[in-house]
Amino acid sequence: MAVTLQDSSASAVIEARRAHNEKLSRKADQTRATWFPLTLLVLLAALPLLQFVGNYNYVLHLVLFTASYVAMASGWNILGGFAGYVSLGHAVFFGVGGYFSGMILARYGISTLVTAPLAGLVAAALGYAVGMVTLKVRGPSFIISSIALLMIARILFDNWHFIGGANGLTLPPNDLSVQWAKVPYYYAMLAIAAFTVWSAYKIKHSKFGLGLRALSKDEIKAESAGIDTRFYKVTAFALSAFFVGMAGAVWGEYLTYLRPNIFLLILISANMVLMCILGGKGTIAGPVIGAILIVALNELFVATMGASEINILGTGLVMAIGLIFFPLGLVGTLARSGKLPRVLNWD
Amino acid sequence: MAEIVQILILGLALGGVIALMGSGLSLVFGVMRIVNLAHPSLIIGGAYITYWGFKSLGIDPIVMLPVAAAIMAAIGVLLYRLVFQREAKSAKYSEMTVLLTFALAMMVEGLLGGLFTNTQRVTSPDYATAAFFIGDVFIPKGQLYAGIVSLTIIAGLSLFLKYSRLGYAIRATTQNREAAELLGVNVQFISVLAFAIGLALAGAAGSLVSFVFSFFPAKHWEWIAMLMSVVVLGGMGSILGTVVGALILSVVAAFVGTWIGATWSTLTFFLALFIILLVRPQGLFGEKPEMA
Amino acid sequence: MTKLLDVTNITAGYGDGPAIIDGAHLTVEPGKVHCIIGPNGAGKSTLLKAICGMLSIRKGDVMFKGERLNGLRPDQILRKGICFVPQERALFAKMTVRENLRMGGFIIDDKREVERRIDGILERFPILRERADQHAGTMSGGQQQTLAMARTLIIRPDIVMLDEPSLGLAPKVVQEMFDIMKMMSAEGVTVLLVEQNALMGLKNADWGVVLDLGRTLFEGPAATVLADPRIQELYLGGKKAA
Repeated sequence: MAVTLQDSSASAVIEARRAHNEKLSRKADQTRATWFPLTLLVLLAALPLLQFVGNYNYVLHLVLFTASYVAMASGWNILGGFAGYVSLGHAVFFGVGGYFSGMILARYGISTLVTAPLAGLVAAALGYAVGMVTLKVRGPSFIISSIALLMIARILFDNWHFIGGANGLTLPPNDLSVQWAKVPYYYAMLAIAAFTVWSAYKIKHSKFGLGLRALSKDEIKAESAGIDTRFYKVTAFALSAFFVGMAGAVWGEYLTYLRPNIFLLILISANMVLMCILGGKGTIAGPVIGAILIVALNELFVATMGASEINILGTGLVMAIGLIFFPLGLVGTLARSGKLPRVLNWD
Repeated sequence: MAEIVQILILGLALGGVIALMGSGLSLVFGVMRIVNLAHPSLIIGGAYITYWGFKSLGIDPIVMLPVAAAIMAAIGVLLYRLVFQREAKSAKYSEMTVLLTFALAMMVEGLLGGLFTNTQRVTSPDYATAAFFIGDVFIPKGQLYAGIVSLTIIAGLSLFLKYSRLGYAIRATTQNREAAELLGVNVQFISVLAFAIGLALAGAAGSLVSFVFSFFPAKHWEWIAMLMSVVVLGGMGSILGTVVGALILSVVAAFVGTWIGATWSTLTFFLALFIILLVRPQGLFGEKPEMA
Repeated sequence: MTKLLDVTNITAGYGDGPAIIDGAHLTVEPGKVHCIIGPNGAGKSTLLKAICGMLSIRKGDVMFKGERLNGLRPDQILRKGICFVPQERALFAKMTVRENLRMGGFIIDDKREVERRIDGILERFPILRERADQHAGTMSGGQQQTLAMARTLIIRPDIVMLDEPSLGLAPKVVQEMFDIMKMMSAEGVTVLLVEQNALMGLKNADWGVVLDLGRTLFEGPAATVLADPRIQELYLGGKKAA
């Protein structure tokens, strides 16, 4: 039996091994384009100037609507994308934020634009409390517990007479002319969205964010590496609830009414998940792109077909297709194949 | 005393139906580790098939049961082949399938809403509104029949799982999928089979549900948490556990509903789910995660 | 030269993911103990999983007794006579030792024959006979590994593939596992094993294979592999060559 040492190919592989080791130790060079979101923000901030030359309320509404989802999806991403805990109950924090600020507005006349951060804190406190309980389980069990949370909240809100029960509450509209009525909410929502995206970026690049990503890969290993996984998870839950709650607060006053069947919808939770998955879970640009895509798609469905059944069918279909063919989302898939355009690399 | 017996009977009869609704969910999770969030929407699909047969052809809902089951089983084979088979090797399989079935639930809801509109429906065979009386206690015929049919189907399923060779393979796959595969069980085939059986159970449950509850396409969101609490209480993957969980919870819910208020009886299930996940995530009959 | 199993230039990976092994080859001769070594992530386990059908092979061939195995399911490959014991040992924790052995004979239709073979196995492994009615999950690591290996013998396979049978076991127990492997090969069962403890594995094997970055680097008699200075430097934790 002859010895089959393949010397030529062997030394090639040994070289490759050495190169591989070096590559691992070198930090990957990243070229991100932070100028792009900043330019976008400046442009959007100037957009209400259009109101001087005509009525562009619909355009403002669309941007505001998208911005609200950018904030919610980016907030959701902190828990779902960074820490890997998929929640289908985040509509609860949207509702809690909306109702908290809305009730203050209805009782004391203080605008939600002022109380939104407070609403965020209330949502965060609730998130912290809920997280203490539900983050004990992971994977499918966690997802189910989040659905149960939404169901419980819906029943409670539907039956709580102090906040209007199932009929909800009407909020006083502001006294600006139709031309300018939307503008304060427009800026508020834009600011919340920008703040959320910036915070998500800061979180991702902090030691805390690193810990979250570690525990999303392997919780036991993360723990043995000295990460207080429980504290990290629960804090991530609270943080993600904070941003969703703020968005809810402003949204309530913008709509001028609060109703459980508008705020506590599983479709709203589903949209957050969908946007992150479609755009790219765990990336910074992903939820933003996902939100833009879904809102555009939604408008298209409503404009062409109208019926809400079709909207639900369409949302489900897009979600399924996205999951099957682009499980990493647009940003994730492009990044993995090395084809991510520089303008979309905000990480 | 009579009141307590009355509530107990109503709770048990409903529990029987809920057990059937949950057993397919439990089976599919046990064998495939798929948490099928679309299960309740498929039950509603079965209810609409039955409703259609009842309204346009005048067929009794219980007679429609095998039809609904067969149609759902066929859909199950199709769905598994088209969607879940390709996901089987995904690293985040269980999370992916939860999201996929969530998307599927939305699609089924939208489709049913488009076909049948969102009005409440119910089939109304004679027995749906009739009742037996034993002294002061009344037993609604509809719920009694539905409960009996449910438990018969579940008994048949249990015998199949316990004594047939396929059942043996299904149980081995439930315990340790990889081991079963390496010992010569064709787990692909077993998975399709179990998924089809799971959906057939959804279809069958739909037929019974059609005259026990009123239904509309979006109703499934209420049921998913209810069924999950039943299945989680019993231990995911255990059929016996599902039956026990369903009976316990629906009896408790019946008492809550009578003594505190109908609104809070559904809350029983959701709160139970929370508490179980907190105290004993593996459920009454469930096992700790298999050997790593 | 008689080849029982001939793996040529195969590429395989998980799902749609990147190829973990790319250009691996392997020759298995009947009745010998073969040991695959290599660093973490080299693709050792992946190679075994590809051979037994758990992963689909994207390129290359797996030939067994002159027959192509590509594309067959694990249960079909098992029926050809190749048995695989993964790192997790694939036991049914909530089944007794006897029931586990019975599952080992799942592909044999004659139930009485299976019971006869189980009795034979219990005869040869007293430790299992003592615990025949105990749940597999309650046994020690070494006992579980013994059961996993013994269970493969029920169907009288040609090749038994073992993925890190020594993982998590005490040194003394590890030697027992290697003794069982030697016994198996003495009875004509070919053993193909993946070992993290390269030194230990090669010392107990007839044939050594070094795998790294998904490719086969060396293949030769275990003693030769063991003696090669470059392999010592990179894979056996020896002194760096100057």
